[in-house]
This record gives sequence, C-alpha cells and structure tokens, in this order.
Amino acid sequence: MSVSLETIYVQSEDVVSRIIEDELIIVPLVSGIGESDDDLYTLNETGRAIWSRLDGAKSLNQIAEELLEEFETEAETVQKDLLGLVEELVNRKLVMVR
Amino acid sequence: MGYKDETEISDFQLWDKKRKNGSLFAFDIELTARCNNDCRHCYINLPAGDEQALKKELSIEEIASIADQAIELGALWALLSGGEPLLRADFKDIYLMLKRKGLLVSVFTNATLIREEHVALFRKYPPRVIEITVYGVTEQTYEKVTGRPGGFQAFMRGLNLLIDGGVKLRLKAMAMQSNAHELPAIAAFCRQYTKDYFRFDPQLHLRFDRDEVRNQLIRSERLSPEQIVALEQGDAERFTALQQGCSKLIVDEFAHTESDHLFYCSIGEGECNISYDGIFRVCSSLWAAGTTADLRKTTLREAWQILVPKVLGMRSQRAEYLENCRICPIVNLCLWCPAHAELETGELDLPVLYFCRVAEARAEAISKTTGDSQP
Ligand SMILES: C[S@@+](CC[C@H](N)C(=O)[O-])C[C@H]1O[C@@H](n2cnc3c(N)ncnc32)[C@H](O)[C@@H]1O
Ligand code: SF4
Repeated sequence: MSVSLETIYVQSEDVVSRIIEDELIIVPLVSGIGESDDDLYTLNETGRAIWSRLDGAKSLNQIAEELLEEFETEAETVQKDLLGLVEELVNRKLVMVR
Repeated sequence: MGYKDETEISDFQLWDKKRKNGSLFAFDIELTARCNNDCRHCYINLPAGDEQALKKELSIEEIASIADQAIELGALWALLSGGEPLLRADFKDIYLMLKRKGLLVSVFTNATLIREEHVALFRKYPPRVIEITVYGVTEQTYEKVTGRPGGFQAFMRGLNLLIDGGVKLRLKAMAMQSNAHELPAIAAFCRQYTKDYFRFDPQLHLRFDRDEVRNQLIRSERLSPEQIVALEQGDAERFTALQQGCSKLIVDEFAHTESDHLFYCSIGEGECNISYDGIFRVCSSLWAAGTTADLRKTTLREAWQILVPKVLGMRSQRAEYLENCRICPIVNLCLWCPAHAELETGELDLPVLYFCRVAEARAEAISKTTGDSQP
C-alpha cells in the first residue's frame, strides 16, 4: 500500500505502546499483527517522534513540518523517513488510515 | 535531540537485554487460592466455595492498581495462577484488563473450566502461553490425584477445546506417588501436544498456609530419592540438564566465599509474587516473617525497593547452615533454599533431610554415568 503525505494516519487500537527503560515498545493486543503473536516492536528516537504524532489528527505533511522544526535536518530526509516508516507501520497493521 | 537518519522498526527482544539493576520485569499473581480440584499434593488450594477465601481475594480494581504500579516499575510480563484462576467469575475481565495495559499475560490452569468463550478470548487476544498441568492420562489416576469425580472428562474437554482452537499451550506434569506408575504415559501424552516443551517436577514443597494435615498428605505423595533418580535417568533431556548443572556446581562462586548470606539464588532479579489476598513476596515460597508485605497497606514500589535488598542482605550464624547447606557442593541438585527450608522447619537456615537425600541420590547417579566418584 502506498503512503501519501496528505493522508492522516492513526495508531491502531489493537496495539499498546509503552516506554520501558527509555525505549518505546509496541505490544500487539490482538492476533494477526506482525508475523507472529510473539512479536514486539521498538522504535528509535526519530521513530518515536513520528509515532507519537500519528494521532489521527495531523496529516503526514503537518508531521513533517513539526519534525523539521524539532530536528535540524533536510526536508527531503524527513519526508523519506516519514513515508518509509509509516509504510512499514501500515504493513504491519500497527498504524492505519484514519 | 539529534536526528537519526534511520527509522526502521526493529523486533524488540527484551529478554536479550541486560536489564537495569533493580527494575521489575515480571510478576506472578495468584488470582485465587480456591480450586475446583482438590489435588493431594497442592500447596495452596482451598475449596471452590470457601467464603472466607473468596472475601479476601483482590478485586479487579485492586489487581489493576497493582498492575499499574508494576508497569511503572518496568513490568512487561504477568502470570496468572492460583488455585484455579478460571474459577473467578471475572477471570476474562482481569485477563483483558491486563492485556490492554500492554502486559504479556500467561495463565496456569488445570483446564477443567475452559469453555468456548475462553477459547474465543485467547484466540482474539493471545496469551503469552497457557500452561496446563496433566495429573494423569487415565480417569483413575487423574481423579486419584485431583480428588474430583468427573475431573478427567472435564480436563480432556477443556484441553481439546484449546487444542482445536489453536491456542498456544504447554503441558507439564507433577510426579508423585499417586501418578508415578503412569508417568511414562503422561510424558508421552504431553510431548504429543508440546514437543518442544515438556517438564515434570518431582519436588513437592509444603503448603503456604502451613496446614499440617495437608502437609502430611504432601509428604506422603513425595517420591523417594530412588524413584526420582530412576525417573530422571529415564528422561534423557532432564538428566543431561542435571549433569550440566552439576558440572558447574556452585562451588566456585558459592563455597569459596566466606559469606554467611542466606540467599544465593536469582531472588529479586526482576520478579515477584502476589498472593490472592495481596501479600507481596520476593519469591513464591518465601513466607517467612519480615519478608512479605501487604499490598493493601503499602505500595508495590515500597515493597519492591525495601524488601528485596532486605531479603538479599539476610544472613545466618547457625552452624547447621554454615557447615552444611551453605558450603554444600551439590546444592545445585537440591530443592533446598531458605524459603523451602522455612516452610519445612520454620527456620530459614536449617537443612531438610529429605532434600539432602534427593540431592545425594542425584549426585551418585551423575557420578556413576560420568565415572567420577566426586560429583
Ligand atoms: C498451584 S497450581 C495453580 C494452577 C493450576 N490450578 C494447575 O494446577 O496447574 C500451579 C502448579 O503448582 C503445582 N503444585 C501444586 N502443589 C505443589 C507442591 N506441593 N509442590 C510443587 N508444585 C506444586 C501444580 O501441580 C501446578 O503445576
Ligand atoms: S488443580 Fe492446581 S490449584 Fe487446583 S488443587 Fe490441583 S494443583 Fe492445586
């Protein structure tokens, strides 16, 4: 599925995200998420900054702008990373189109 | 904050990581002490209809509050046991509430109360694992151990529902006088369903409530050291594990130090237990005075942060301990630990003759197979 910058995405209600010892961990609540029921996921700092903004209110464009403000980096890099991560999150059913 | 030009999701393997000292990562909770079975060897069970026990049980709200506190301390795993956890009318609500908090939940059950609705729940919200104890594979043996007519049929029905529903299971067994004759068949039965995981435990400890009549029953169910060795020798996997345990006996780290500390096990390394009425223990069997805390009166954080160091700091000056268990080279083969010693003798630092006999018999069997007279 292709991911677009205009779309608004939201964290799935079927996962719970938690911070354990400074790491963000995504715990699937129901079966059929990820490859096996035992999979847990973690995101690095940038991934966390993206994850926390996938709130069902902001489009990826708006999130990209916020990230550009927060991190000193190129717009192109932010967009590429944002699209890449959200696509992966959508494929694993951790995030969905609002 | 620096921008990291890499945003892939990675699989998270908490158990591979070294946890920070002092954090809690798992808690076991006995949802009830009541059970619909009445196993002869059981260290906890009270009758299913025991009003007193029912009244003392933690409510779902109390369990939620304990879980929140555990999560704050870092917990990711929760084990629901009992008694029989499915006996609680609100079992499903408790299970789901803990799952929704992002905990990985396991359940220990006798499977006799499993119904379609549980299977549907476990299918939709998968448990980490469901562990079921197989007390016998014939009606006669199963019901001799569990003391309940009709129990075997209920067990097989529950087990088949779970198997047909594709719920992840592990089967295990307890070895005792009442089912010893059937253990090879029990092992074969268990391995048929869970090939990669099967264990039997021949080491029965005493009751948490110190009921002397029931303790006598537990003692009468204990296998003799010779029976235990014969069983273990017949189980290649287990015997190899014992041999390996023996080849790196605690001698180096344990016997050479001039310490009079009591606890040398993994106690306090990220796990704790909570009883049906909210009593916090550093380890399931540790009920000695001064080592427990009532979570209805104190917070989990306080219990965890104050009791663990206190227990780890406990020492003994008793000669029987310092000259025996403390320096015993085969303590790895023994059920002895201060908690079990206290349940047996009332003291944390007294040897238990039956445990010594079992360890000696195991050491002898191992030394015979390795050709080493000094295990
Ligand atoms: C108390 S039960 C609770 C869960 C469930 N009712 C069951 O039987 O599996 C947990 C486990 O402890 C085992 N157990 C019971 N009494 C024991 C004892 N005296 N010593 C060691 N394990 C015991 C049970 O056989 C079971 O495998
Ligand atoms: S089924 Fe479990 S809790 Fe119930 S009596 Fe047997 S061992 Fe105890």
